This record gives sequence, structure tokens and C-alpha cells, in this order.
Amino acid sequence: MIKKNPVNIIITGVGGQGNVLASRVLAGMLVSAGYFVTIGETFGMSQRGGSVMSHLRISRQSVLSPQIPGGRADIIIALEPVEALRVLTKYGNPQTVILANEREVYPIGVITGELNYPSSQIIKEKFDKYSAKNWFIDATSAAVKLGNPILSNIIMVGALSATKQLPIDRRAFQREIKKDMTADKQKINLAAFDAGVGMI
Amino acid sequence: MKVLMSGNEAIARGVYEAGVRFAAGYPGTPSTEIMEEFARYEGVYAEWSPNEKVALEVAIGAALAGEKSLACMKHVGVNVAADPLFTVSYTGTNSALVIITADDPSLHSSQNEQDNRNYAKFAKIPMLEPSDVQEAKDFAKLAFAISSQFDTPVFLRSTTRVSHSKAPVTLGDITPYEDKTNISYNAAKFVMVPANARLRRVEVEKRLNALKEFAETFSENKMEMNNPEIGIITAGMSYSYAKDVFPDFSYLKLGMVYPLPEKMIRDFAARVKRIYVIEELDPFLEEQIKAMGIKVIGKEIFPYTLEFDPGIIENAINKYEHATPHPVHKIHSIPHRPPNLCPGCPHRGLFYVLGKLKCFVAGDIGCYTLSYMKPLEGINSCICMGASIGMAHGMSKALKDKGRGKVVGVIGDSTFIHSGIPPLLNMVYNKSNALVIILDNSTTAMTGMQEHPATGFTLLGEETKSLDIKALVAALGIENIRVIDPHHLKTTREIIKEELAKDGPSVIIAERPCVLFKKAKTENKKPFKIDPDKCNGCRVCLGLGCPPISWKKIAKTEGSKKAGYAVIDETYCNGCGLCKQVCKFDAIS
Repeated sequence: MIKKNPVNIIITGVGGQGNVLASRVLAGMLVSAGYFVTIGETFGMSQRGGSVMSHLRISRQSVLSPQIPGGRADIIIALEPVEALRVLTKYGNPQTVILANEREVYPIGVITGELNYPSSQIIKEKFDKYSAKNWFIDATSAAVKLGNPILSNIIMVGALSATKQLPIDRRAFQREIKKDMTADKQKINLAAFDAGVGMI
Repeated sequence: MKVLMSGNEAIARGVYEAGVRFAAGYPGTPSTEIMEEFARYEGVYAEWSPNEKVALEVAIGAALAGEKSLACMKHVGVNVAADPLFTVSYTGTNSALVIITADDPSLHSSQNEQDNRNYAKFAKIPMLEPSDVQEAKDFAKLAFAISSQFDTPVFLRSTTRVSHSKAPVTLGDITPYEDKTNISYNAAKFVMVPANARLRRVEVEKRLNALKEFAETFSENKMEMNNPEIGIITAGMSYSYAKDVFPDFSYLKLGMVYPLPEKMIRDFAARVKRIYVIEELDPFLEEQIKAMGIKVIGKEIFPYTLEFDPGIIENAINKYEHATPHPVHKIHSIPHRPPNLCPGCPHRGLFYVLGKLKCFVAGDIGCYTLSYMKPLEGINSCICMGASIGMAHGMSKALKDKGRGKVVGVIGDSTFIHSGIPPLLNMVYNKSNALVIILDNSTTAMTGMQEHPATGFTLLGEETKSLDIKALVAALGIENIRVIDPHHLKTTREIIKEELAKDGPSVIIAERPCVLFKKAKTENKKPFKIDPDKCNGCRVCLGLGCPPISWKKIAKTEGSKKAGYAVIDETYCNGCGLCKQVCKFDAIS
């Protein structure tokens, strides 16, 4: 069962990190579990390395609008740490929980030296101060070990299931990826899911 | 049965359910997936036309031949198609014709956020606007019915939030296709010379009056009476946002945003104490309702710019009603993250060179526009599809000698085909001195790899003739034509300099496929590494603005000026080797 009705989830990251796939898989599992799911996505030009966000709204009884109002996210899943902070600023509240990947992807302004990227220590401090609970994991390294950094999105989904914040588990994931992935792809994605579970 | 669908998938489904098997469009965010999805249905004809004007004309032709047809584009695409649009309103459509305009409030992926509801009023064409994914499907179907009933083109307006959100959709029955095509002649209706058009002009006003009557009983213009203190008049996604935060207010939800049901609006106004009109962008409904003499609260409390969300609506009304707005806290200063060219992007090398040459580079619409930013700073203007060439020519003419060797227009392959051909012809005809660079990455990259006339494939996946861009440029009369690989910085620089120095117009075709384009992908190269001992900290490689390259500060040591060194994040580097070309210390391998 979902803990709250509705549950507002934001999956965020950098364009190209597999944000849309993560939201699709998560939504698919929750739809199969019988919930009404509305997803709001940003893509298009922002897929070229910009900030991206998917809003997932999970309800027991109805479809909601595809945007979560400011300050009302329940769960933030971030494939990149500073994006977690960005979303936390606009959508967080003291009850928000965060699951974030530790690996930084530097924005262009940081590369050129015009902007500063906050240290992981500062990011962790902000998480501790402004959220109810947070998990900070190195999903990218685990994904590289599995052979492809893109798998960090599925590792995050696995980790999310282990946090017990949502009614999703390994079997639901397996059923979901069976729908449109080849056997080879299912195998590697399941390994990624399991790796994520092991990180919580 | 309910299926999780995006708004765009739902629109395609609705069009198909309506028995439509013919569609033409040009890709553009947020509309692109409608055509891609429609093309997957059994038995359809769907095409990417070279631009939106052609797409609409194709759809008009099909409709006149008796085939229900769809023309699909993003909001600015309607500007390109505006010429046929205004006159097809006069002729009527014979069979049904629906035009999808996918607007982009907040400019997620556009150069402006024009409100295309104005086109409905301007061209005297009815417009439907869905407020969620289910309605996106249902309204697509209704739009065709209205078009048939009133012999008028009908607009279906989506916005990014409708097109790109996903929700469960109840599917409807599919109307079986009926072949009603034939050649019919009706000069008085279809030959819009002044004498005929004057008569059709009167018909347009009659039709509009009939549509106003229709709007009064249209099933998707709905009153929901709850709390009579506050009434909301709204349409589209704003309705869904408002319902999220104010479920207890009374609503007049307009499924048809043009023409408006005046009697219904007056009736609603009489039943509530205070009315808010909630709409993104222009006060389109508000001005018309105020013109009826009805007092409403609108743009004095809601923003004119950018898209709404439930919070914006809640705060605006709560503030006006003296309730407390929701607090927002500031946690830390967070570096802004605009989109950037991908690692290995073929545009990076070219714009690295152009940025250093200190020319004025008139840009165009495509991923490459992103290179206006630091550190590349290789583009100096961007207006609309195809503008680069005309602007470069105009600038070069105006500057005369001052502009010699200093004015460049850059345009992508798909954009060149869309609207770059007449301005290039103009450069030849009017003896231009500017240089045009066609960035041929073999696909329509920014919208997600769509086919176009030079890719050799159609939207339906059939092989077809592939335009020879070089031969076309030569046929237009350009004598100086060079082909380069923009990944080779040295030759790129040399050839651009040579062509800038020449009299008369020149064209350089920079050929290298988009790095994300799977069809053209040949090999996965090994990521590069920077040797921190060899790197002397000159930061030249950082000037490429490549996402995996970053700077590592080090503590200063005695006798060394080195403040840090560059590093490559191997997880994102795809081994294009551009950085190796710019490194003077052989530190990258």
C-alpha cells in the first residue's frame, strides 16, 4: 500500500542519464499494482545534458495533474546529487525523503570555472537538514562495474524498492521489464536492480 | 481497458479511432511523437513533409480529395503554415481536416511561447483544447467530427504538459476506414480568386455563427456547480491544475476555446459571486469574456508568462483571497544546468573554430544553437527556422566592406531543407558575400532523429531517394562549395578562412553524423585520459565545453605556477578525441 494518498515522486537527473526510462519502469510497476499514475515529463531540448525531471503522482482513486505543486514532493530520486538539491529547494518539505546518486555531472558553467559545484559534504549536510530521511549511494560506480554507466537509473529503482517507501519489489520489476525488453536486457537490468537493493 | 499513454500517443490514438488514415507533419517539440506514433498504426499513410506549410498543403489536398486528414506541428510551425491556413478557412475542407498545434508555454524547447489560440480567432477556425491525456484522445476524435459537420478546418491545441504527460486512458472503438476519395470539381469553392473569395468570406462568418450556437450545447463545454462563492472559467491543462488545489470551487470548463459559448458564460456568471479566469499566456478567454461586459479576475493576479502549475494557481488565488501562500525555502546556491552539446557532438569542433574566428555567426534552429554559450560562443543570433541564411546575407549587404570575411550563416541539414533553400538562392541572385555552413549530421537530431528528404528513408520506413545537398547547392548557383569533416579542427579552420576570403557566396558542408544517431554509429571508441603530470593546466581543452572534461584544483607548490589540471570522466567520454587535437602538451591519450 502507498503510505500517503497521493504520493508525489520526482525523479531527476541530467539529460541522457535514463531519467525517462526510470520513470516509465517505476510507473509501470505502480500501474500494475492497481494505482492511478500520472507522469509529467520534461524532454526535448533538455535531453542534451540539461536538468531533467519526471513528476510521478500515485493515487488510489484518480488521475491528477502532471505537475507537483512546489513544496509537496514526498520522494525525490536523483540520478545526480546537485539535481537532488535543486528539486529539494523547489519541491521539498520536512517530510520529504531523498534517494540520490553520489556521482557528480558538472554543468557547463562549472566546467568553465564560472560557477561552483557544492562539495558532496555540503550536499549531504543539506539533505540531512532539509529532509526527513535520505540515502546517498554511488550508483554510477556500481553501474560501471556491471559494464555500463547508464544502468545507474535501474540501480536507483532497485535501491528505491529496498527503502520500502513504495509498494514495489523484485517480482514486480521482473514482470515490468518482461513487457518490452529482450532476454539479454532483462538479465542485465535485473542485475542492476539487485545491485541497487544491495546498496540500501 | 485502461492503458498508460502519453498525451501525444493519446492524440495519435484518437486520430486513428476517428477513422483517419492520412497525416502530414514536420517534427517539433512537443508535437513530434504524434506523427511517429500515428505512423505505427496499421494501414495509415503518414509523412514528414519538408516543412509545416507543405504539410498543411498536403493535408488540404488529401481532404479535398475526400480523405480525412491531419496536419501536425508545433506552435511556431503554424507560423510557417499560416499562408494556406488563412485561406483554407475560406474554402472549407470537403472531407475533415484537423490541424494540431502543440504549444510550448515556458519555452521548454522553443524560441518563443506564442499563444496559438490567437490563430483560431485570427483565421476564424474552431479550436478544441484538452486538459489531460484522456481528453487528448477524445478531443482528437471530436475535432474530426466537428470538421465534417461544419466543413471547416479544426484546431486541436495541445501544450507541452498535455503532450508529454502520461496517464491511464480508456480506449474507444476504432471507426473503420471508409474510402470516400474521388476527384470533385468546385471552382467557386476552391479557386480563391477575389471574386470567389469575397463570397466565401461571407460563408466564413455564417459558419462562425453556427459554431457559436454549437458551442452552447457542445458536450465538452461543462459547468460544474459547487461552491457558488467562487467560479473558475478555464480550459486546457489549467483546469487540471486548478482542480488539484481547489476541488470545491464551481467551474466552467471550456473544451472548445474558440468560438466561445456566450450564453453559457453569462449563465455561469449569474450563478457565482466572483469569477477567476485561469489561463496560461495571453488573456485570450479573459478579453472575450470582459468584452461581454462580465467582470472577472484574470491577468491582474495570474502571470502572463511561462506555464502554470497547481502551486502558482493556488498561491495567486490565496493571496487575492487573503489566505497564506505556501512557503518556499532557499537551501543553497545551485549551479544552473542548461542543456549542452553531447560528448562527441560533431558541432563542437566547428563552433570551437567559429568562436575563435570572431565572425558574426547567424545561427538557426537545432542543437547547435546551444553553442552560443560559453565557452564556445560560436553563434550570435537565432530567430527561427531558416533565418540564418537570409540574415547573414542582409547583414553582409548592410555592412558592405566592413562585413568582408566576417559574416557566416550556419544551418542544419533538416533546417536547410525546411526553409533554407529560397534564401540561399537569394544569396546567389543578389550577389552575396557571406559564407553559409550547412551542418549535415544526417538526421533531424534535436527532435530525436527524424527522417527528412536527405536521409533516404520516409516516416513509414520505406527507402526513398536521398537529396544530394551538394548538388542542390550547386544547382542554386553557388560556385564555391567545400565539404569538410568538422571533427578535424585544423582543416576546418583553414577551409573556413579560405572561403571567408573569397568574393561571392560560399557554402561549406560540414558532414559528420549525430553522435546519438544509431543508424550511423560505427564504433565505440575508448575514452581518453589526461596525464596529470603532462597537463600544464593551460585549460585549453576546457574551452571545448565538453561535459566529461573538468578541472581539478591543486595546492600550489614552490616553483610551480600550475593551479590544477584537467580530468576526463571516463564514464561520459566517448573517445571522439577533439580534446587531444587542442592539447599542446600531449597530455591526452
